[in-house]
This record gives sequence, C-alpha cells and structure tokens, in this order.
Amino acid sequence: MHSDIVISQSDGRPMYLQIMDQVKQRVAVGEWAPGDEIPSIRQLAMDLRVSVITIKRAYLELEREGVILTQQGKGSVVAPNQNLTPQIYHEELSERLDEVARLGDLLGLSSEEIARRTKEATDRLAESRLTKEIV
Amino acid sequence: MNYSIVRSLILKDWYFQRRAILLALAGGALSLGIVVYGGKPGFTIGLILLVTILVMISAITVMGNVLGERENQTLAFTMSLPISYLEYTTSKIVGNLLIFVPFWLTILAGSVALILAAPVIHGFFAFTIIMAVEILVSTCLMVGVALITESKGWAISAMVVGNVALNVVGYLVAHIPSITNGLYGTAIYWNSTATILLAIEFALIALLLGGTFFIQSRKKDFL
Amino acid sequence: MSDLSVQFEGVSKKYPHFALENIDLELPAGSIMGFIGANGAGKSTTIRILMGLVHQDAGSVRVLGHSMPDDQAAAKLDIGFVSEDMRLYGAATLAWHMDFLRPIYPRWDQKYAEELARRFDLKPQQKIKGLSHGQRVKAALLLALARRPRLLVLDEPTTGLDPVARMEVLGELMAVLADEDRTILFSSHNTLDVEQISDQITFIDRGRIIDSDNKEAFLDRWRRLRLVLPPDGAVPRLPGVVEVAGSSRLPVLTTNRFEPAMVSACNDLGATVQAVDTMTLEEIFVANVHSRRERLTA
Repeated sequence: MHSDIVISQSDGRPMYLQIMDQVKQRVAVGEWAPGDEIPSIRQLAMDLRVSVITIKRAYLELEREGVILTQQGKGSVVAPNQNLTPQIYHEELSERLDEVARLGDLLGLSSEEIARRTKEATDRLAESRLTKEIV
Repeated sequence: MNYSIVRSLILKDWYFQRRAILLALAGGALSLGIVVYGGKPGFTIGLILLVTILVMISAITVMGNVLGERENQTLAFTMSLPISYLEYTTSKIVGNLLIFVPFWLTILAGSVALILAAPVIHGFFAFTIIMAVEILVSTCLMVGVALITESKGWAISAMVVGNVALNVVGYLVAHIPSITNGLYGTAIYWNSTATILLAIEFALIALLLGGTFFIQSRKKDFL
Repeated sequence: MSDLSVQFEGVSKKYPHFALENIDLELPAGSIMGFIGANGAGKSTTIRILMGLVHQDAGSVRVLGHSMPDDQAAAKLDIGFVSEDMRLYGAATLAWHMDFLRPIYPRWDQKYAEELARRFDLKPQQKIKGLSHGQRVKAALLLALARRPRLLVLDEPTTGLDPVARMEVLGELMAVLADEDRTILFSSHNTLDVEQISDQITFIDRGRIIDSDNKEAFLDRWRRLRLVLPPDGAVPRLPGVVEVAGSSRLPVLTTNRFEPAMVSACNDLGATVQAVDTMTLEEIFVANVHSRRERLTA
C-alpha cells in the first residue's frame, strides 16, 4: 500500500514528528480508518526516501500514543478503537492524580478547590489547542 | 583462480584494442609479402619491418591495456569485480602474450621457412631462433615492469632496455664462433651452445613472469 | 546479535603524509550507514580497505563474513561499488558494460537494469564518453545495482548530480533496502542526503572515527542553547558542551549530551534559556570537527 504522505524539507521539526503528525491527521480525518493497514516501515521509508530508523521511531511513538498497533511480523494497522489509550497512560494519570491530591492537601485546599484547579488546567489545554488550529 | 573471469577480462582488453591488433596483423601480412616477393633486398627490409611491427604491437598493447587502466581510471571498476591480484595479473600477462606470441610464432615460422628455402643461409637457423626468443624475453620484461610499476616512464625504460639488450645479445651471439661458423653454409646445425643459450632465455622468461606474480601478490595498495 | 555486514577492528594504515588510526566500524545488515568527513579525512581510504583494494597495516576487516583483503574475490561477488574517481570504459556503450557484467554476477537482473536505464533516462546504446557527468554517475550506479548486491559501497554517490537525479538516486537506494538483508554504506559531503536516509552515521576526521551512532540519537543529543545571563552571571557548566559562542551576556552553548532537564538546570543557575535549537547534521558535524581540532591544538 503506497502512502500519500508528503513531508517538507524546510519544516524545522524532526522528521519523525512530521511523520507522526501526518499519520495522526489521516486518522483524524478518517482517510485511514480504524483497523486499516498502514504501510510497513520499510515501505514508507522507501516512499518518503527517509531512513528506516526514523520511520521506526515514528511508529513506536504512535503505538505508545495508541494511534496504531503493530502486530509481530504482520505489519501495522490503525488502532481499532482510537478512544482506547494504552494502559501506560492510565497508570500515569493515576500517579499524577495521587500527586495532585497530596499537594492539594499540603496546601490545605478542599477537594472542590482541587477539582476546580483541575478544570482550569483542562480549560487551558483546550484553549491552547484552539489557538494552534487558528494559527 | 576463476578462469571464466580471466577469460572475460582478456576478451575485454582485446575488444578495446581491436583496431591496433587488426592493423598490426595487416602490416605483418604486408611485410611477409615483401619478404617473399621482394627478392634479396626484400628479405632484409621485410624482416626488419616484421620485427618493428612486432615490437610496436607489444608496446601498444601493453601500454594500452596495462597502463591504460590507471590512466583512464578504469582500474577501480576492474578491481571492484570479484577478482584478486591473481586474476588481474594473469589476464594482463596472458592477454598480452596471446596477442604477441601467435604473431611472433608466425614471423618465426616464416623466417625459418625462408631460411630453409634458400640454401645459402641455412646456417642462420640457430641464430634466428635464439634472437627470436630474445625478443620474447624483452617483451616479458616490459609486461612485467608495466604491471608492477604502472608507470609510463618505467615501462618505456623497460622497452629501451629490452631493445638495447636485443642488440647487445645479437652482437654477442653473432660473435660466438660455434654459432657463426656455419651461417652462410648449407648445413643446418644445432649445437650444445645454442641449447644452453636457449635454456637461459627460457629460464629468464620463467623468472620474469614468476617474479611479476610474486611482486604483485605482495602489493599492498592496488589503487 | 544481528549480522554484521561490515566489521572493522583496530584498522590502521600509514601513508607518508596521512594515517588512518584505530578504525572501529560496525555496520549491521539491513541498514544504511552514512560516512561523513572532510576532504582528506580518510573516507576513501577506509572504503578502499573495505573493498580489499588497499591492505591495512594492522587490524581486522570482515565484509559479509569474509576476511579482507585475503577473501576479496568471494566478497566482491556480493558487493556493488561506485566511487567518485571510478570511470567506465569511455569507448564502450552502457549496453556493452551490461553484457560484460552479466555472466560475472549470478544474480544479475537484466530486466531491472533495463528498467533503471529507463528511470535514469539513459540510452544503453550511447557511448560512455558521450555522457554528461551526472549520466555517468547514474550509469555506474545502474551497473552496481543491477547485480543485486548484498552490500552497496558508494563513495560520494550524489556528488555532481542535479536535484532531480539526486532524488531518483536516493529513491533507488532506499528501494534496495526493501530487502532486509541488504546493506548500504555511503560516504558523502552532502549532509542533507546523509541526514535524510541514513540509519547510522559515522564521522571521520583526520584519519580517526570521531563519532558513530544512530541518526535519531545524534539529532536528539545535539542542541544549541541560547542563554541570557544577568550582568554578573557566569556561563553554567553543563555536560557535553563542545563550544561556547556568542557574547558574554548572550552566550550560545553547543552541547552533544542534551537532556530536557538541562533547561531547568540553567534556569536554576540564573541563566535564562531563551531558545533551544535543534541542529542539522551539517551543523553537528562542523561543531564536532571544530571542537576536536581545537582540543588538539590547545
């Protein structure tokens, strides 16, 4: 399967990040549907004329983020359920939330205040995403 | 040693020198004609022409396919083939001698035939053979030096040395009584002196060629 | 341990005015290594030793499992070699060269050769001496690729090529790697090419290997930190700093051991980090060489 990914040489970011973005965009737009096969690492390396090691890194990161799944010896597919983030993030979230609770307690905040601060953080994130898209 | 690659290499070298080889053959045929049909003066002239062509063709082919590789920078291409110094050296020596030797043999056979046909000069037999083999020795010297040094200067020096040696040996042999006594006689004879001289010459050829292989095997920089 | 396509251990070679010293190199099968060095750094010598064309004075060289230079004939059966100073036979045609090589290499792929001729826009019936420089380079590459080698050794493969030809060549090189057993080693001045397609990168300078790592690691490790110091501030000591440039209040540090924690470390030490710049391979190479030469002359 040939990809239609296009990379820019003048983009200052590391190549693997560019590739990750392109894959994520295709998934977001629906061109690459969950369960679809995506180009093998070597195939993509050939298409883009980019080193195998860079593609490997991009795919590794994409897998950690739960965007794709790599099956041993069978290539990679778009992760079937994009809302399903891998276990590692759940664990990290639990750890951080425990930390938040501890710090809030240290500062003498009530649980409502801690919840409010948490919402402020998610609001900030949504706002920064919006600005990026407009730009 | 990979014989099929050696064959490919030799054919390649001949391909690139086909014009020179064909011209030399034509010139040789012409000279032979002069020798046969030119009467007494034709005999001398023709023979000189033949020897000249022989010397020239060996110089051209050696310079061309041995030194030419380095000059034209095709040495890297040739040495990147699945060969070692062994196939390379063999192909150059055999390739050059295979052009030279048949030519040389023809001239030698022609000369001998003429000697035998004309009764007055039967005695030249031994002298002619010794000198002919001496030309072969000079050629081996030139091929060896060209291969080892890959330098035009050295190859030309070897040619000069070979030429001088030819004249010196010719002079010396012509003054050995046992050889020259019967030169203008009607008897073809051969004696032990001639045999010894011939043996020395063949030993020299073996030494030169063997020495070339040995030195090539010890080369540490092929490019 | 993966198969090593090429392995140099302690290789040295002395010339009157130049010496290659203690070269260690490992090239795993199935990868591409880019070999970067200034002119006269020793790239060509190293490659010639790899091909068995030059015998090392010390050290061992193994290529595709064969010991070099003793086993060079067997090794070269699986190697395609193109170097900058190599010429094809000018009086012959490209087709002649193909016919010459075909019986020599058991895996010669005539169809692929003809297809490459089309893609590279080469006319097989044309004499080599009538070709432009770029066409000659492509012709030599065609002849190396068509023998389907397990190892491709290229000395400056894209030098002198126009941008379109360069893209074609890079494309073909990557296509070679579609087969996981094939390996490529190429030396180049063109750091863009090396940066783009190499898996491994090795820097060589003045006869020594000065760095060798996988490309992503290189690009991750090297950064330029632009700092703003307070009036009496001192440049913070950071690991791996090879160069300090800029002015006394606006220093620019080049480090080869960057970690995100460095940013907070700088801020803690009173030096505000204004920017963290990534570096191109070219900048990395130049910084590497400069710092090394500086250390030697200091």
